[in-house]
Amino acid sequence: MSRVFHVGAGTAASQARRSGPAPVSAADEPLPAVCGGAGGGIVAGYLAPHPPHLIYAENPAQNEPRSRGGWEVLRWGYELVRRRLAADRADVLVVHAPHWITMVGHHVNCVPNPRGVSVEPIFPHLFRYHYDFRTDVELAEAILGEADDLGLVTSAMREPDVRVDYATIGALHLANPAWDIPVVSISANNNPYFYSDAALDEMETLGEATRRAVERTGRRAVLLASNSLSHLHWDVEPDLPEDMSAEHPFDQHQYEGDMRLLSAIREGPASELRELIPWHIQETSSETKAGSLTWLLAAMGWPDRTGDVLAYGTIIGTGNAIVEWRGDRG
Amino acid sequence: MADPVFAALVPGMPHMLADDPAPSWARLRAAVVTAGDRMRAAGVETVVMVSTQWFTVLGHQVQTDPHLRGEHCDENWYRYDYGRQRYDLTVDTELALGWADEIDARGLQARRTRYDGFPVDNGTITAMNLLDPEHRFRLALVSCNLYAGADAMSVLGDAALATATRLGRRVWVVVVSGLSSGLVQRWIAPADDRIDSGHEQWDRRVLDLVVDRKHDDVLALREEYARAAQVDSQLRVYPFLVGAGLGALESCELLEYGPIWGTGAAVVTWQ
Repeated sequence: MSRVFHVGAGTAASQARRSGPAPVSAADEPLPAVCGGAGGGIVAGYLAPHPPHLIYAENPAQNEPRSRGGWEVLRWGYELVRRRLAADRADVLVVHAPHWITMVGHHVNCVPNPRGVSVEPIFPHLFRYHYDFRTDVELAEAILGEADDLGLVTSAMREPDVRVDYATIGALHLANPAWDIPVVSISANNNPYFYSDAALDEMETLGEATRRAVERTGRRAVLLASNSLSHLHWDVEPDLPEDMSAEHPFDQHQYEGDMRLLSAIREGPASELRELIPWHIQETSSETKAGSLTWLLAAMGWPDRTGDVLAYGTIIGTGNAIVEWRGDRG
Repeated sequence: MADPVFAALVPGMPHMLADDPAPSWARLRAAVVTAGDRMRAAGVETVVMVSTQWFTVLGHQVQTDPHLRGEHCDENWYRYDYGRQRYDLTVDTELALGWADEIDARGLQARRTRYDGFPVDNGTITAMNLLDPEHRFRLALVSCNLYAGADAMSVLGDAALATATRLGRRVWVVVVSGLSSGLVQRWIAPADDRIDSGHEQWDRRVLDLVVDRKHDDVLALREEYARAAQVDSQLRVYPFLVGAGLGALESCELLEYGPIWGTGAAVVTWQ
């Protein structure tokens, strides 16, 4: 395994301890503004879809299967995310992912150095990923503390043998394949085999807890909502998974639902999405029912600004968009 | 076509293994152990199993790794003694591969699954550790596609039975599933486990039909039951059982029913 290294959790002052040099152009620029004040805060938030096909298509050393590529437009979108992350010089990436499924409560990974092999039970032919990263345990515990104070049911997950899921790894790898920024990973409190959805009001509370914890610890945080959009998809697969001739929206209704949401994102303000996200879930079975997007926008205070749609594409028929919201309120 | 010699519905929640169980967890555990005793008495060779906790979305995955061995640390229940389980499972690969071929032949997509480190689901592990603690039996496992309809589930059961018949296997068909799903959304002491009364009424109404072997009535009521009690995977394991020949079995017994963390759980056997 290559391109994996370790760095302790830290603040902006820890930048110099990271093994990879920051891009010269970024290092010379003043730090971008944040949500939450002059010190710590949320630098940016991304809707960061995780389908394993994207990592499979990229052929990183950490993933065992090999591919011929595919889904390039989405992957180019993630290249933009990587450049922006480098400029933002974040202390931590905080990810909420729908495939760390916790039936009771909101869990936060407090294992200092999760490592192992994540064989994805649904897509094992695409995703057998060797992971090894650092958790910002102080921030993880702060989020738990704030969430407890706000009345949420929580748990600090301290078992290194719990497999890290592909939605967590997917968003983190695609945003930052160097894994040179510490991580906080939050579970999704829902249950797919009972078809239950996340309670979106709880996700608002979890977002508020995340924002408070980020500010209290003084971190410069980037948030990742690891969700696809429309989520009806094929139930069979072509012989060549990356056969792009088989890739298109599941149907026109799903596509139009995604476009309505993305148009609203582009036009802003994000507060309009409070009403639109539940509609979009209803119309398209959107994966945002797991709550990641609501969590992200709530953490950012439903910013009075537009989102920047960096890419859109389908994966086995599902809609996937990479979107950035900046943290400054200007 | 031969019929399965035995069939069972068992819960997949690991709470049955707790050192300090709720009364219902202990009773359910004893019932699953009893089902295992009956399996051994029936001279079964291979367990054909679908667990709702092995949920997939593409095709129907059939486990073809001959030996599944490891330790599962559960992503939700890790803080409890029952959150960590070892497993040691032998797959009847001849039956599994034949089953996959039969699934393909019926127009569905079988996905042969053999990967080192593949995460076996908690339902399969829990069920087998209670049913077969000495690891005497071989397994044939298929995933529960979240989007597969009742017809497809029935085809999977039929394909399993056809394969077993062709190979001359004496099989035991086991479905690992809960019933109603009023999961308690907080951390509770075992003694505080309760089931919603409305959910319990629904569970018992359906279980009465099950015990009376009114399979068509169960199938007809299934979707309404699923909506009313948010049933685990919409009880799609039932059409799987029917497809696997449940109608030919002459007796049915409800061994136990009770809550596990607010969900409805039952142990049912057919012979």
